[in-house]
Amino acid sequence: MSVERLVGSVQTVPILPASGRDPLGPSPAAGFAESLGRLVGSVEATNQQANRAVAGMVDGTGDVHDAMIALQRADLTLQLTVQVRNKLVQAYQEIMRMPV
Amino acid sequence: MPTLNAALDASASGLAAERMRIEVAVSNLANAESTRGADGRPYRRRDVVLASQPVESFDSALGRTGAVGVRVASIVEDQAPERRRYEPSHPDADKDGYVGLPNVDPAEEMVDMVSAARAYQANLTAISLIRDLIQRALELGRG
Repeated sequence: MSVERLVGSVQTVPILPASGRDPLGPSPAAGFAESLGRLVGSVEATNQQANRAVAGMVDGTGDVHDAMIALQRADLTLQLTVQVRNKLVQAYQEIMRMPV
Repeated sequence: MPTLNAALDASASGLAAERMRIEVAVSNLANAESTRGADGRPYRRRDVVLASQPVESFDSALGRTGAVGVRVASIVEDQAPERRRYEPSHPDADKDGYVGLPNVDPAEEMVDMVSAARAYQANLTAISLIRDLIQRALELGRG
């Protein structure tokens, strides 16, 4: 992602939306499923980076440490995603056990 | 994982820079006796010039000071005069019988190499520390 684009998007976000809704509160459209989807997407992205780095190391264009760091990054992102998923399932089961 | 990623990138740039220092020191050692290079002159000792460079991160995009990495700015040739040795039978000897040898001091290169290797190790230690910190933070979720 280019930095200019990031800065641009940061500057155009209004501090308070016109509706007066809390900007940090959940927006109606972006649910938990979407953020979980984004997390899975970042796992996929770091995985591909790790694959590229290892391929680069094998064919001699990349460094060993770059490949290892990419692998670690992919591993940590996966762990984070698994933790978030565990918490989600845990919360779901908690609610399912609730007597009605 | 945006928070410690910039620190990881800075350490990775340090690893790349130290690897280049080791590469250059090894080239100097290997060519300590090379009497002809690409230009026909004796090999000249090379030196790495390092420059700091802010890591592209969320902080730097917002104009805040974030992690600062390092990059190899250039590789320069040492302009010290070449060593001369009397050896009239050598094919590269001049008309007085002296051969021009590279301005490489093997002891100095060894010291450079050890210092670069130690710096590389220091960066590796920093990376494994950052990895451990992220992992410990993730352990907050298990419980």
